[in-house]
Amino acid sequence: MMVLLLLLTLRVPDAEQFVGPPKGTPLTGDALYQRTQEVGHLLRCPVCQGMAVSDSPAEMAVNMKGQVRELLARGYTEEQILRYFELSYGQFVLLRPKMEGVTSMVWILPVLAFALGVVVVIFKLRKLGKAPAPAAAEHQPPTDDPYLARVRDLVGGGKP
Amino acid sequence: MNRTVLIVGGIITAVVVVVLFIGLGKNPAEIRTPLIGRPAPTFALLEVGTGRTIDLASLKGKPVILNFWATWCGPCWEEHPVLVANARTLPNVQFLGVVFQDDERKILNFLEQRGSSYPTVVDDRGKTAIAYGVGGIPETYFIDAQGVIRAKYNGPMSSEILQENLKKVLR
Repeated sequence: MMVLLLLLTLRVPDAEQFVGPPKGTPLTGDALYQRTQEVGHLLRCPVCQGMAVSDSPAEMAVNMKGQVRELLARGYTEEQILRYFELSYGQFVLLRPKMEGVTSMVWILPVLAFALGVVVVIFKLRKLGKAPAPAAAEHQPPTDDPYLARVRDLVGGGKP
Repeated sequence: MNRTVLIVGGIITAVVVVVLFIGLGKNPAEIRTPLIGRPAPTFALLEVGTGRTIDLASLKGKPVILNFWATWCGPCWEEHPVLVANARTLPNVQFLGVVFQDDERKILNFLEQRGSSYPTVVDDRGKTAIAYGVGGIPETYFIDAQGVIRAKYNGPMSSEILQENLKKVLR
């Protein structure tokens, strides 16, 4: 009884203090297990090398995964859970960077680089199209070398 | 070589070098906390040895130095004497140790052998550590008298670092 009373006086930081009351439906059973895995895959284990919470056996990751499970069971949404962890660890904890601030560059730069590449390729192709035809065979000095003559034939510069 | 290609290549190389310079200059173990300037997450945890509950909210009105540690953490052994000595000389500052991922018997042995001058609580299942964004221990948070986090330090504490960060909560 004493132990129970003592445990009731204990309090750990609650998600409600950070992200308000749950906005979703409480999960149980297989759905809870499945969603815990999915949300855990979106969170970085802070003591591992780029591993997701769901994949790491580290005690910290196990604790974080336990907390994800508990929050899902209480009806917190994926968005609320990610926000809760982000408020403690910053964007570092999110394995999928958010499209805001400097991190938005992670999404924008590859698209920009691709677009730039396409423009360069189009520009070069158009330039090649306008380029003068290669020097005609008649302008090339005559040769007795059969190999050179064969090469000229193959590249289209030789006489038919 | 085409002059445009040279200029564009030079700019791209310069950007990559600057990004690498900034990125590689950072300590990979250090997680910048978004908690600075925000109210410290509240908790009430059991004190090691006495079993009494220590509530962070009840410590308001006094600056708090909150140190996350464990007996299996080498750098925590290194900083322990610094914290104990400073807690003795700073009676107006509340020092509080939070141990997680550890065994209470080991914590008691550690404190008996190495001495203690401030309370230590146990963070069962690391929920408090998660709320504070603790990555690698030791990590120390400096909370002002109004309960707002003003600074965080990753790694073993020295007296100089402690005093430097303490200034931020005493302002």
